[in-house]
Amino acid sequence: MKLNNKITPYLLVSPYIFHFLLFVAFPVIFSIVLTFHKWNIISPMEYTGLSNYVRLFKDEVFLQSLINTLIFLVIHIPLQIIVALFLAEILNQKLKFRGFFRAAFFLPVIVSGVVVTILWQQLYGYDTGFFNRLLVTIGLGKVGWLTDPNIAMPSIALMATWKNVGLYIVLFLVGLQTVPDQYYEAADIEGASKWQKFFKITLPMINPTIFMVVILSTIGGFSLFIEPYVMTGGGPLNSTISAVLYIYKQGFFYYHMGYSATLGLFFALIILLVVVIQKRFVERDV
Amino acid sequence: MRLKFLCLTLIVLAAVILIRCGGNNSDKNTLSYWSSNNSYEIKYADYITKKWNSDSPVKVSFQPVPEGQSSEEVILAAVVGETTPDIYSNMWQGDVEAYAEAGILVPLDTLDGFIEFIYDRCDSSVVEEITSSDGHIYQIPWKINPIMLIYNKYIIKNLQLNSVPETYTEYTNASEKFKKDLDGDGYIDRWFGYAEVQVTWWQRFFDFYPLYLAASGGGKLIENNKAVFNNEYAIEVFSFLKNLYTHKYFAMERLSARQDVFLSGIIATRFTGPWEIAHSEKYKPDGFEYDFIHMPVPDDHEGPIYTYGDPKNIVIFSTCKYPQTAWKFLRKMISEENDLKFLEISNQLPRRKELDVNPLYADYFKANPKMKKFAAQAKYVKGTDASPVLKEVFDLISQQYEACVVYGTKSPEQAIKDAADAVDLLFLK
Repeated sequence: MKLNNKITPYLLVSPYIFHFLLFVAFPVIFSIVLTFHKWNIISPMEYTGLSNYVRLFKDEVFLQSLINTLIFLVIHIPLQIIVALFLAEILNQKLKFRGFFRAAFFLPVIVSGVVVTILWQQLYGYDTGFFNRLLVTIGLGKVGWLTDPNIAMPSIALMATWKNVGLYIVLFLVGLQTVPDQYYEAADIEGASKWQKFFKITLPMINPTIFMVVILSTIGGFSLFIEPYVMTGGGPLNSTISAVLYIYKQGFFYYHMGYSATLGLFFALIILLVVVIQKRFVERDV
Repeated sequence: MRLKFLCLTLIVLAAVILIRCGGNNSDKNTLSYWSSNNSYEIKYADYITKKWNSDSPVKVSFQPVPEGQSSEEVILAAVVGETTPDIYSNMWQGDVEAYAEAGILVPLDTLDGFIEFIYDRCDSSVVEEITSSDGHIYQIPWKINPIMLIYNKYIIKNLQLNSVPETYTEYTNASEKFKKDLDGDGYIDRWFGYAEVQVTWWQRFFDFYPLYLAASGGGKLIENNKAVFNNEYAIEVFSFLKNLYTHKYFAMERLSARQDVFLSGIIATRFTGPWEIAHSEKYKPDGFEYDFIHMPVPDDHEGPIYTYGDPKNIVIFSTCKYPQTAWKFLRKMISEENDLKFLEISNQLPRRKELDVNPLYADYFKANPKMKKFAAQAKYVKGTDASPVLKEVFDLISQQYEACVVYGTKSPEQAIKDAADAVDLLFLK
């Protein structure tokens, strides 16, 4: 009985410990070991010292992929927050068919990323796409949504916003509904305008939600993969190759496992740094 | 006590499962064979294994290669998991060198009767092409699908051309005559040809690479771990293709997600292989006529016109316990008679010499005249150079292809030089 009492807690946590060791600790340690090796999966590992790290700092395509990811984030995060907050504000009012609109905006979130991407690829088509047909109909020129290197990444950011905005609308709705009505009533008595109420009451009160949305969309943005993988393959001229796509290509396309692990580790450190900075500044100042 | 027993049982069970997962497919007296997973080859594999098993003590059990994103990835996963079959018949030639270097494949030239067989089946140039850098042969050339130019006969006739365009100038002139803005919106929507604009490395097998082989008389891209394609032929090919995009003779948009653009007359030509015949016959509109011709060549080209053969070869994995028996099976599987059966079932060409004049195949080609063109072209096909980094080589070329040919941001000379320099750097790493 005494023995059972000693063993039982360990047995109860053992599934998690087993899962953690196998799927978290081992891959992390193994990938750190890999960064010092050259390995193509089928041949034995070859120790290469710091050569993967040296290569990383000379790799122009990786730098390009980081810049692309940054461009994506700079467009995607503000757009996501503005659109989601705007729509959440509207959906928080007593509208007709409010339930229908809430469900409709959430629909893209639950649709497979690949399906959405293929759908938007058709919409973005140069000759036959909906957007260009619309532009030509109203007398404007066609746009190379996915074929112009300057426009391809913003196009992807626009699509990603459409895909994910429903989730953030829900988060903002929750945030908006936690703001006590008394504040607005007091503001009404003081004669505050709608904008004043929004900026002086709503925004500060939903600060934790905004912070969460910023963190979630930053992490989501950093993991940008499906969209460029399916829509553009990273092109044109590497303008949409994201850091994750590049890491994937190095690992599972070229089988440069050591180099891919090095890129992955470096990229993880960048994400960690960004999240720490966001936590320090965004959380306080919004 | 019961708890301890339960824990012990679970640990033993987990260990057994893990060990079994790593096991080889091969059973005693049975060879495992993975074929390609298209329905025609499954039919042929079924036919040949049944035939073999009826009178052989060592049986062959066949299955199509498991589904995956690509058969190459599935094979790699099998190699890593040590679950490879004994025989695999859909190996991309470009992967063989890396597997050979890793010691995963059986050197076939060490098997009894292989050398005599291979020289009987193939020309010496083919044997040279499939010989690895260590001097051994790890693959049997089995089937090819040469890349040629398909053209719409009605359009070519209507353009009042004297002949089907064969040279760069003829092709470009025909392109100028054919391109059109059909709906008057100021944008071209009828092009003479089309090639995938995506940067994906293997797309270059259907544009740059066959054109390069045609222009250079079957020239190499890599030799002795060095890029050898920084030459006039590669530059001419890039210039030719760049011209097609600059003047909008080729569409820059991906046209793959709509009605077949060739069969609907949106384009007049396309670089393609014999698989196009079955597709076109099935979906062509009434009265639609088409034919095939070799890849376009530079105006001053002389000599035979080569192309990429898209070869898929057969290998025996070193996990095979009976390589000599596996070889015996393969020898029967790709005999002259069984190659005919394969041709009839799959409409893919066996890679053997004098295919188009061999009387055994005459009836087939009489019944399938369009395939005869591919058989004639089969004399002048090349696979890929032996290199463990071939995908990267094609990817580097593809990056420069996109910059120069599709977007015109580089001159052909600079793009080819940059690609060659980058490839040379690959070998220095």
